[in-house]
Parts: sequence; C-alpha cells; structure tokens
Amino acid sequence: MARRLIVRLFQGALTIFGVAVLTFLLEFIIPGNTAHAIAPRATAATLREITKTLHLNAPLWVQFGDYMKGLLHGNLGESYVQREPVSTLIGQRLPATALLAGAGVLVEVVVGGTLGIAAGLKRWMSRGVNAISLTFLSIPTFVLGLFLLLIFGFDLNIAPVTGGMSFGALILPALTLGLGGVPWYAQLVRDQVAESLSSSYVRTAIAKGLPDRWIIVRHVLRNAFSPALTMVGMDLGIFISGVVVVETVFGWPGLGQLAVQSLDSLDRPVVMGVALVGATGVVVMNIVVDFLRMYVDPRTKLATA
Amino acid sequence: MSKKRERPAGRRRIPPTLVVGGTILVLVMAFALAAPLFGNPLHENLTNGLSVTGMPLGPFSKGYVLGTDTLGRSMLSRLAYGARTSLFVAFVSNITSIGVGTIFGLVAGFYRGFAETVVMRFTDIGLALPYVLAALVLATILPSGITRVIIIITALFWAYPARLVYGEVLRLRGRGFVEASVASGASGRSTIRSHLFPHLMPMLVTYSPLNAASAIFFEATLSYLGAGVNPPTASWGNMISDGQSALSIAPHLLYEPGLMLLVTTAAFLLVGEGLKVLNPDLTRLSWLGA
Repeated sequence: MARRLIVRLFQGALTIFGVAVLTFLLEFIIPGNTAHAIAPRATAATLREITKTLHLNAPLWVQFGDYMKGLLHGNLGESYVQREPVSTLIGQRLPATALLAGAGVLVEVVVGGTLGIAAGLKRWMSRGVNAISLTFLSIPTFVLGLFLLLIFGFDLNIAPVTGGMSFGALILPALTLGLGGVPWYAQLVRDQVAESLSSSYVRTAIAKGLPDRWIIVRHVLRNAFSPALTMVGMDLGIFISGVVVVETVFGWPGLGQLAVQSLDSLDRPVVMGVALVGATGVVVMNIVVDFLRMYVDPRTKLATA
Repeated sequence: MSKKRERPAGRRRIPPTLVVGGTILVLVMAFALAAPLFGNPLHENLTNGLSVTGMPLGPFSKGYVLGTDTLGRSMLSRLAYGARTSLFVAFVSNITSIGVGTIFGLVAGFYRGFAETVVMRFTDIGLALPYVLAALVLATILPSGITRVIIIITALFWAYPARLVYGEVLRLRGRGFVEASVASGASGRSTIRSHLFPHLMPMLVTYSPLNAASAIFFEATLSYLGAGVNPPTASWGNMISDGQSALSIAPHLLYEPGLMLLVTTAAFLLVGEGLKVLNPDLTRLSWLGA
C-alpha cells in the first residue's frame, strides 16, 4: 500500500512536471517577444524595462529554473492585465469551481447510476437508456446549458439568469454539468450489472435461495460500484472541461470563467496558471480515486505488483 | 439457448443505425455543399433583415425561411456555411489526430523499450490534460482561424487513439503472424505496415465516427468560447455565442445551430454504433429468471 502510494505520487509528480514544462515552453518560447506580448503598444524604453524586470534576456535554463522555483513556492507569475499574482486570482475563484464540480459529479453519479441499474435489470429499459444516452451525447454542454437557461430561466422564470453565486444559481449549472456525464455512467453501470447477472456468483446466490432483492444489493450493485468510481477518475479531464464551459454559460464566477476572460484579453499567465492548476487537480483526484477504489474493492490491491 | 436466428456468413444485414446515421450525414453534407445557393452569409441586411425594433427576424419571415441573426444576416445561409466548417474540421482533424495517435501507438507497442516509455508518458500527460483549458492555452499563442482549431484538436485528440492502438498492438504482437514476419527477417517497418496495421483497421474504423463527433463538439465549444473559428466566418458554435445576447427574444438563434449540432453529432454516433454492431459482440444471458 505504501509502496503503491509512493509510486503513484511519483508518477503524478512527473505528469505535473511534464505539464509545467509544456506551459513554460508555450509561454516563453513560441510567442516570440514576450515583452511585446505583455505591452503591445509600449515604447522601446518600457519594453527594455519589462525585459529587465522579468529577466527575459537570461538564458533559457535560468528562466526555466526561476519558473520552476516559483512554482514550488506557489508562484504562478503575475497577470499582465490585473497586475496581481496569478495565484491570488486563482485562489479567489477556486472555491466556486470546487462547489460546482462537486455538485456536478453528484448529479451525474446519482442520475447515471440509477438509470444504469434500471437498464441492467430490465432489458426493455435498456433501449430507453440508449435513446437518452444518444441525446445527451449529441448535445454539447454549452447548448444544453443555454437550453436549460432559456426554458427554466427565461420562459418559466424559476431560475436566476443573471449569474453569480447562490444556491439557486447552482442548480442549473450543476444539472448541465451532470447530465452531460450521465450517458457514460448509465452505460457503464448497465454493462456491469448485466455482467454480474450472468456471473457464477449470482448463479450461486440464486442456487442457495437468496431473494432477488438481496442478490441485487449485495452482489450486483457492489460489483458495479468500483468501475463507476474508476470512471470518476478517468472522466476528470473531460469533466473539468465541462466546468469551464458551464461557468462561461451561466456566469458562475469560477476558474473557467477566469480562463476564458483572460483569453479575451490575451492574459497568458492567467490562462497558463489555470491550466496548470486544472491538470494538477486531475492528477491529484486520480490518485485519491485510486486509493478510494482500493478501499471499496479489495481485488484492485492484487493488481499492484 | 440463443433465440437469435443464425445468419449465413457473408450475408450480414446492414444495421438500421448505420442506415439512419449515414443518411443524415449525407443530407448534412448536401446542405453544406449547397451553401452558396442560400445567399451570402456575410450580408448584413440592416434594413430588411431586422424587425422594426432592430431585433432578429424569426423563422418563416419574408425572404428568410430560418430568420436572421442580430446583424440581419440570413440564418439559413450561415447554418449552411457553418456545416462546411464543422464537416471540414471533423474530416481533417479526424485524419490528423487518429493518424498521429496510430503512429505513436504502433511505435510504442511494437518497438517497446525506451520509445514505449517516452510515448506512453506523453500519452498519460495528454490524457490528464483538461481539454478545454489546454485548448485555451494553445489558443492564446496561435493565430485565430480554422487551422488553429485543427491544430488544437490534433494536439489534444491524438492521445486516446494512441492508447487504443498501443493496447491492440501489445495484444497482436505475440500472435503467430507477427512472430513469423519478424522471424523471417522482415524489417520492423514492413511488419508494421503489412501485418499489424491491417489488423488495426476495424478498430480505427469503429473509432473514427466517435472521434469525428467529438471533433465537431469541440470545434463548436471552442468557437463558442472565442478560442476557435472567429466571426465573421460562420460556425455553429460562434453563431450560438453571437446569439446569446438576444436569446430571450430570438430563441431560434440557439435552437437552429443547436439542432444542427445535435443532429450531426447524433448521426456520427449512430454510424459508430452501427459499425460496432457489424463487429459482432458477445450477447450475454442473465441467470436471473432463467
């Protein structure tokens, strides 16, 4: 267990390092003159000044060292536009994003899981789930979000349309985020349930006279839980993307909105910082999910080695 | 046990999902090809294309079957040109992303060793990236336009097929025909080309409609966020973004491009589903109630 934790942490650190190298390269090499990118209409003297303060003339490896040292201290650079440390800007927005993401995961697991169980147990439900899956798989998140906003916000007038953070304002974004993930969970749980139903342990349970309801709760559902948890981990990269889009649609003041707004003003350090934080979040959550799964499903411990 | 009637080999029925999906795709392509027939997508008719109060015209207005947008441009024409954008992106980025992924997967799976370590590490990074955030980062340094979208999609979408191909190659490389090819002195490249690659084709063919659907999705999302195809070039994504401000007055600005996206993506998914059926799967039985 400890060994596995160390291995996973090391792999995770390597991945984050890789992402950091990529963001560094993108930020400092490709765009050419960084000083010019910071202040497009500045005079030559100002440009020299910027170059000097940011050490833009130092050799690349020195700049990379500085960048990495900064990252280890939690320093993600300074916003070109807002003149504030990127880490401060991100810190202000992080709670909102975490709240929205948590609510979204809850919706997709609960709705997707329920549909999946129903479809796995009853063959005829499976067709319904297929149709629902196809619909939600074919609607981009932002279209679904705007659609819900139009119906519940403007037409029925029961949800706020002005954005901002409140419990009422959380419902539609969380729903949008969750419904987009429902097909994946529904299909996964359905297949797991169907597989369990054809397994020898269910046959044994029937043979020893266990009531159907107990078989389903004790054997079938327990076996479907672990893959669903794996899915939460695997899905994170896509899920975070959904968060960015949903925040933009609903004006939810989180990291995604910050990133999109910063793209508009070409505020590169902020976009890079949010991306780095997002990637780190995905890696960390994957490790957490991995260990949760080991706790829930002891079989996965055997697969270490 | 199985109630399914056996069919003689070689006479497989074409699955209905494939027929439906394929038909829809052909129709969308025809719509895209016929785009010039529906007028100029950039013509801002500020006198007759807007209502008296300066609002977009709804569907079935005089001269505009599908209405106009906030600048008085014909929605029909813009939808058709948007279809061109979507299909072009789907087609090109499908080839580039699956192509890059396949090459990396083949190299990692066949040569193993150092190449495998490096490529698979990069694949892990690629799969860990939050797609939209990574796309925003790339969008800050690339000039806007359709090329940017294709570069972004390729840079982000190669990792998944690479993983798929890698797994498949690992499975195949122990098989007799690969061993025989290597043993008879064929070069690695020729073994890959004539023995491994053909066996990957069914998988790649099944995967490509799903990849195309994701690409269309992603293009629309990027264009909506302002990181993809920028106005005035029509894209279903930036049309929705443009119309967002007038949404409550002119909901057709959302419904029309939204419906096009839904139908086109669904068609690709149906085709993918149909191709999967052609690759017969195990049909499982339930012990419950047996």
